[in-house]
Amino acid sequence: MYAVRTLRSQPLRLILTIGGIALCIVLMFFLLAVYRGVADGSVEYIRQNRADLWVIQDNATNILRGSSLLSMDQIGAIARTPGVRTAAPVLFLLSTIRNGDRLGTVFLTGFEPEMGLGGPPLLAWGRRPRADDEIVLDRSFALKFGFEAGEEVDLQGNRLKIVGISRGTNAFVIQYAFVTLRFARKLIGVPGLATCVLVNAEPGAEIGPIREEICDVLAGLKAYDHETFLANNVREMRSGFLPLLYTVAVIGAVVLTAILSLLLSVNILERRKDFAILKTLGSPMPFLWGMVVKQALLIASVSCAVALILFFPLVRIVERISPEVTTKSTVGQIGGVVAAVLLMSLASSFVAIRRLRRIYFLEAFS
Amino acid sequence: MNAVAMTGPVVRLEKVTKIFDGSGPPMTAVRNVSLEARRGEMVLLLGPSGSGKTTLLTIIAGLAKPTSGSVSLFGKSVAEYSAAELQSLRAEKVGFIFQTFLLIDSLTAGENIEIVLRFCRKRRPERARKTRALLGELGIEHLAGRFPRVMSQGEKQRVAIARAIANDAQLLIADEPTGSLETRQAVGIIGLLHAQAKTRGTTVIVASHDLRLKEYADRTLHLQDGEIG
Repeated sequence: MYAVRTLRSQPLRLILTIGGIALCIVLMFFLLAVYRGVADGSVEYIRQNRADLWVIQDNATNILRGSSLLSMDQIGAIARTPGVRTAAPVLFLLSTIRNGDRLGTVFLTGFEPEMGLGGPPLLAWGRRPRADDEIVLDRSFALKFGFEAGEEVDLQGNRLKIVGISRGTNAFVIQYAFVTLRFARKLIGVPGLATCVLVNAEPGAEIGPIREEICDVLAGLKAYDHETFLANNVREMRSGFLPLLYTVAVIGAVVLTAILSLLLSVNILERRKDFAILKTLGSPMPFLWGMVVKQALLIASVSCAVALILFFPLVRIVERISPEVTTKSTVGQIGGVVAAVLLMSLASSFVAIRRLRRIYFLEAFS
Repeated sequence: MNAVAMTGPVVRLEKVTKIFDGSGPPMTAVRNVSLEARRGEMVLLLGPSGSGKTTLLTIIAGLAKPTSGSVSLFGKSVAEYSAAELQSLRAEKVGFIFQTFLLIDSLTAGENIEIVLRFCRKRRPERARKTRALLGELGIEHLAGRFPRVMSQGEKQRVAIARAIANDAQLLIADEPTGSLETRQAVGIIGLLHAQAKTRGTTVIVASHDLRLKEYADRTLHLQDGEIG
């Protein structure tokens, strides 16, 4: 009762504290949601294009940050490897799309529609490109630059019709777009090139020998099974994004802990006479510590609730203002942040509790 | 004559001196004081402001250590008690009445009393029953749900007394309990403390400069410049 009453005795301070902590929690929720959105957007393409093997130049381990070029001969040799049923070449290049004064850069993905591999992982609207004058744009990219389904865009002097809008193709800093492989090759002016080849084996054929055959026979190439290649790309994505995430999350956590420690310490200092009286009257120290811990947990819990109320509307606003920001929140993420906040509140209370030691009995008699 | 037979001393001080040695020159607050207080006895420490009364009270209660001399509480040297034992002792056997009452502002009268009962590990139903009984005994049942800020000085002092005796204290330490009260209220309060000593056998040690208290005390010790005159 004392713990709660003390907090309620300064309502403005309590509201400001809860507001500050709630915003820190919203920041953490948001960073995790952006991370999850980016993580999915960056690798969903690979996850959904389930190939038995991904063949790439052996200097590159992933498609997000690596240069790989495979020649027409190499692609042909891969297709002729015993046990290979299909070998679908895919070409990635950065390109600028414009429509009037609107323009944006995309991670252009050229694939062979008839092979069934390498295309957009999920479609929010429309269909995959079938002809060289058709394109599928990422949903966030289309929203951000105001490109609408069915309209025509200009890609290096070529008019392409938007026949589909894809999902799971927003890698935050860049978004995927999909065209035919033939068109992509025409853009770079070198026929027969590809970045990688997606290989599916004959039914019943073992993947290991096919991979060994490709790597042995074709010097300078490397073949990864689907899970390894996915893991390579996830690792690459994390190495670029997680340091930033950790830095901001740590700053948020430090600010949260500092705000809470400050409030609890100020409460103790302002009420030091009360604490001196309680000590004199025989209060066990754990009782006093318990009051501070209770205050910390109470503020943290209310702040978490406020953060949850604020978070989802705020995310909607941010996604409306910046469509390239794709977020994804899970119960696990939110539970993790709440648990972390409760732990930080305990840390804050330990900082504040130290002040209790410096309150002396004699202060009750002064 | 006292209703309760007096036995061995509850409090015993022998040649106690307390010197405060801070940043300035050392200041002797209590000098060579010896005293005893027995069960059911009411001892008045009478002296002007700055005479060392409050310092002496804190030493008697085991809250401050003397620079020299020895202090015994309930037959055992204070030096032999651990910090936890002293805390338990205060929670279970000692009651305090502070100058200007010092009730906790954010708690109601009932809660101010009840919180002390927590310290002596009473269960919730017993705490509630005891709180009601004390409020009734002191004629302040109507204050149970009120906060100190809406109480009169006399009401606050009664709540403070109820809080001090809630743990069935065997030793009651009061620092200027009538300092801020008018005569009628002061007489009422000192009467209550006197009754505690005589009907319950509580040892009551009162520090005051209020001469009106003298006639209620079994013994009056005059303090001047930290010395008993």
